[in-house]
Amino acid sequence: MTAPTTQTPDTILAFLATLDKDLIITLAVPGFVLLILIEMVMVRLSHRGRYEVRDSATSLMMGFGNQVAAILFGSLVILSYFWVHQYRLFDLGWTWPVLVACFFAEDLAYYWFHRIAHERRWFWASHVIHHSSQHYNLTTALRQTWTGALGLNFVFWLPLIYVGFPPGMVLMFSAFSLVYQFWIHTELIDRMGPFEWVFNTPSHHRVHHATNPKYLDANYAGVLIIWDRLFGSFVPEDKKEPPKYGIISQLGTFNPFRVAFHEWAGIWRDVTHAKSFGEVLGYLFGPPGWSPDGSRKTSRSIKAAWAARQQQEAQTAAVPAE
Amino acid sequence: MIAKLPVLAGSAAVILLMVGVAAALGFRTRAKLDEAALARHAEADGAVVEAALIAPDGAAAFAKLSGGKLMIARAMGEDTSARIAPASTADVRLNGGKLSVQFADLGYPPLHMQVEQPPPWLAELAAGDAR
Repeated sequence: MTAPTTQTPDTILAFLATLDKDLIITLAVPGFVLLILIEMVMVRLSHRGRYEVRDSATSLMMGFGNQVAAILFGSLVILSYFWVHQYRLFDLGWTWPVLVACFFAEDLAYYWFHRIAHERRWFWASHVIHHSSQHYNLTTALRQTWTGALGLNFVFWLPLIYVGFPPGMVLMFSAFSLVYQFWIHTELIDRMGPFEWVFNTPSHHRVHHATNPKYLDANYAGVLIIWDRLFGSFVPEDKKEPPKYGIISQLGTFNPFRVAFHEWAGIWRDVTHAKSFGEVLGYLFGPPGWSPDGSRKTSRSIKAAWAARQQQEAQTAAVPAE
Repeated sequence: MIAKLPVLAGSAAVILLMVGVAAALGFRTRAKLDEAALARHAEADGAVVEAALIAPDGAAAFAKLSGGKLMIARAMGEDTSARIAPASTADVRLNGGKLSVQFADLGYPPLHMQVEQPPPWLAELAAGDAR
């Protein structure tokens, strides 16, 4: 008979250090499926929230393609993490203080990745996929990019590795963050009180997925909403302004291949028609919608036009009727 | 990579299950495009509809807007989606009774629609006279 093992903090750390990081998401998948089925039934019964079979099928196929891409190109991420780790500044091992620090650091790295993914077209080309549904439900959470690794999204986590966080620890928190962000893609859960002060919630994330000018470029949080509050990108959900989901130029297709590659095709077309190197850079790394003559819409121009309209309406309302 | 194939097969099966459940629950409603919907989309771009063709089932529409713009609109589930672009960036073709419109913007799929009797404005567009 063997002696019963006790779960000491050290054994937990050792377990986490040796844990296959892919397993975190693999183990979460049955939970995802169950929650989607429950949400579908609740939407049908309550008439709150919306599902559409072709939209959900597209979202799920994007998730499937993301799995395939991870198998094909995931090693690029792992290799780059371990390559940078050779040159680390500090030797941070698997200890509890490092674990806590890594949780915050990973979430901060996610915030900046996510923010830049909305502000720079190169990274937007991969991330736009996640925003391309005009519906918002748990299947939207699985509408993921096929080109994330090839688009070099992982570079935003390399500073953590360079500082000295173990690559496995960073990968673990990235996986936890992904799992956490699943449940916030729903219209069934309303406001959540004090929990919303610190954590990303369905309400915060509905704002993030909205195309209403008031809500554009807001709430980039992964797990903690504190980063948005800190860096000035937080916008609360307004009951008087229900979110309209999707992207500024709605895609108008359920074709997964068009969803996956449309922005890359757009970049290719623009770059091959560019008249100068400056234009090439603008099309690649300018804000989505950037054009040399300013004739296309960017988030900034849409928000500015909206703000001007608001101001005009306020002035009109302030003039007393005769 | 071969070792991952059973996982992918499992995922594919789960996708089929979930899509099947969604279909069984009746999530197959589709918005219908009408003149009011087209007017809303045009207004969002600061334009008005001058002339429009709406498919009989309300699933797609093509419109000529003020300011030399064209609009393709589609029903996307319970929503509608529209793309507006200058007429100069659109390839409008009319072959027999079949209308095809493709914007230079590759992101938006081309529109194909049966048109029994093309109105004069459409014939002009297809001939390139109105661009």
